[in-house]
Amino acid sequence: MEPRRSRNVTARAAVPPGVPGAVPEDGETAARARGDGAAGRAGVAVEPLPPGVPEPAPEVAAIEFDRVSKTYPNGVVAVRDVSLSIAPGEFVFIVGPTGTGKSTLMKMIYREELPTSGRVLVDGRDVTRLPARHVPFLRRRVGVVFQDFKLLPRRTARENVAFALEVTGVPSREVPRRVADVLEVVGLAGRADALPGEMSAGEQQRVSIARALVHRPPLLLADEPTGNLDPDTSWEIMQLLSQINLRATTVVVTTHDKMVVDVLRRRVIALDAGAVVRDQRRGRYGG
Amino acid sequence: MGSTRASPRGVRYFLSEGAQAFRRNGLMSLAAVTTTVVTLLALGAALIVASTLEYIARQLESQVQAVVYVKDGLSGAAVDAVRARLASLPGVTGVVYVSKGEALDRLRKTLGSDVYMRDVLARNPLPASFVVDADRPDRLDGIAAAARRLPGVETATYGGSTAVRLLALTRMVRLGGAAVGAALALVALVIIASTIRLTVFARRAEIEVMRLVGATAWFIRWPFVIEGAITGACGAAVAFAAVAGLYALVVHGARDSLPFLPLPGPEQVALSLSWKLMAWGIVIGVVGSLLAVRRYLRA
Ligand SMILES: Nc1ncnc2c1ncn2[C@@H]1O[C@H](COP(=O)(O)OP(=O)(O)OP(=O)(O)O)[C@@H](O)[C@H]1O
Ligand SMILES: [Mg+2]
Repeated sequence: MEPRRSRNVTARAAVPPGVPGAVPEDGETAARARGDGAAGRAGVAVEPLPPGVPEPAPEVAAIEFDRVSKTYPNGVVAVRDVSLSIAPGEFVFIVGPTGTGKSTLMKMIYREELPTSGRVLVDGRDVTRLPARHVPFLRRRVGVVFQDFKLLPRRTARENVAFALEVTGVPSREVPRRVADVLEVVGLAGRADALPGEMSAGEQQRVSIARALVHRPPLLLADEPTGNLDPDTSWEIMQLLSQINLRATTVVVTTHDKMVVDVLRRRVIALDAGAVVRDQRRGRYGG
Repeated sequence: MGSTRASPRGVRYFLSEGAQAFRRNGLMSLAAVTTTVVTLLALGAALIVASTLEYIARQLESQVQAVVYVKDGLSGAAVDAVRARLASLPGVTGVVYVSKGEALDRLRKTLGSDVYMRDVLARNPLPASFVVDADRPDRLDGIAAAARRLPGVETATYGGSTAVRLLALTRMVRLGGAAVGAALALVALVIIASTIRLTVFARRAEIEVMRLVGATAWFIRWPFVIEGAITGACGAAVAFAAVAGLYALVVHGARDSLPFLPLPGPEQVALSLSWKLMAWGIVIGVVGSLLAVRRYLRA
């Protein structure tokens, strides 16, 4: 799987992130969510790739939703018949009004919630059928980042990141090296010994991103990662996520941050009332 | 606490987390241990009483002697006739006559008393008897039945008949002990689970992160299981000391006042009791801890 992914990422790297207008903006497609799973699966390449970029070989999607619906036990229908496919190496924004099922969609990817019907495939494997004892191994391949960071307050940045390796049985001699590397990636090498309470919100979010990356997952999910951050810090965090995307990682971000989405011009999937209403190759926040 | 924490890996981490939590929960841990002690006291007492009764029963059972009591005032010729009939019964290997006087002497000896019964009692109440030896314990029932039908015989008994009644009593004590023990164990379970739930609650952020980054359910459970095991083991140790100590006292007292009663030795009882109570204590503690984390670990 790894060679395929890096090839794809090389292809993507030819298109620098955050350069609006580098590609004609004619790539909008109609929403293809409702009722047509086959179209959803086939529709990875929504628009032709720019000249000089090789057409990717057909491959297993990083994430695929196949006619997924989710009704919570209290009767709330959070997700309605969603079919979509995200290719390895993609960077995707999921947007939509509050309460439209963005977080629910994310939770079904890392098996925090199960769909009521439909299939969710991660790397071609149906995670809805995953035995409970395999779920931890799925989660080592799916990094997750949240609005509230979920850092342990009594542990330093370094310890918070190391924690993810330690509780998953990574040999202790590997831990310091890997933690230092990933703190370097998120630009926190100099703050490794700070406690969360001694760091800015942006720094804390970088720690939580480092923790999500320390298992070197092929997939990173960020659920409103900038929800608690000021505009400048939000921009920095989104830049960081873009850079991580360039390092062979599929990135899915839910956000309400219109400015960032409109500037970065990445794939945008818009939800409304649990259904996909728009899926654009180089989309904007609003229609 | 942050920096002195053991790094989360391996047996040492589980042990130190478990022990820390046990100490941190202070009074609740004490309450949990106390209910475990009460549970195991009941269990231990029932175990000891049952095993003592069974021991006595087995001792009696293994005796290959029957005692045939003859009627008072039998003539010498009649006594000889009974002796001859007894000796001819199948399985009988020996017949020894114990006169009224000899019976009294024996009683005096076993009681170890210096009191001269003859001085105290107006007349000797003990009957004369034959002690009949058999080749096998299972012959005794037939021998006693046949002896009872002989003229001049009052009654006949053997250890086995008492043993059967004792064994029935043993079963009842076991059942009763199991019922009381089970009811108390349920209470202990609930209290241990509530105590450990405090730890689970205190560490819920950590548990959430562990789940998110892919720690296995057993990795997350271990510290709590160890906290439960520590609670159960402490309870078992206290209950063991109490029950075993009490039994040693009883045996000590019985040696003076009831020297003929065959009681199992305190060391022997302590040995079998110690691992049984420890096993039950740990089982209760571990099950309680699993109940406490269950809700937080559902997939
Ligand atoms: N555990 C739950 N039990 C019951 N209902 C829930 C649960 N989680 C979410 N919901 C409901 O499901 C719907 C979708 O929620 P979700 O959190 O997925 O929305 P969202 O798009 O992430 O919203 P936001 O932008 O505010 O984060 C909402 O109506 C919410 O109230
Ligand atoms: Mg949400």
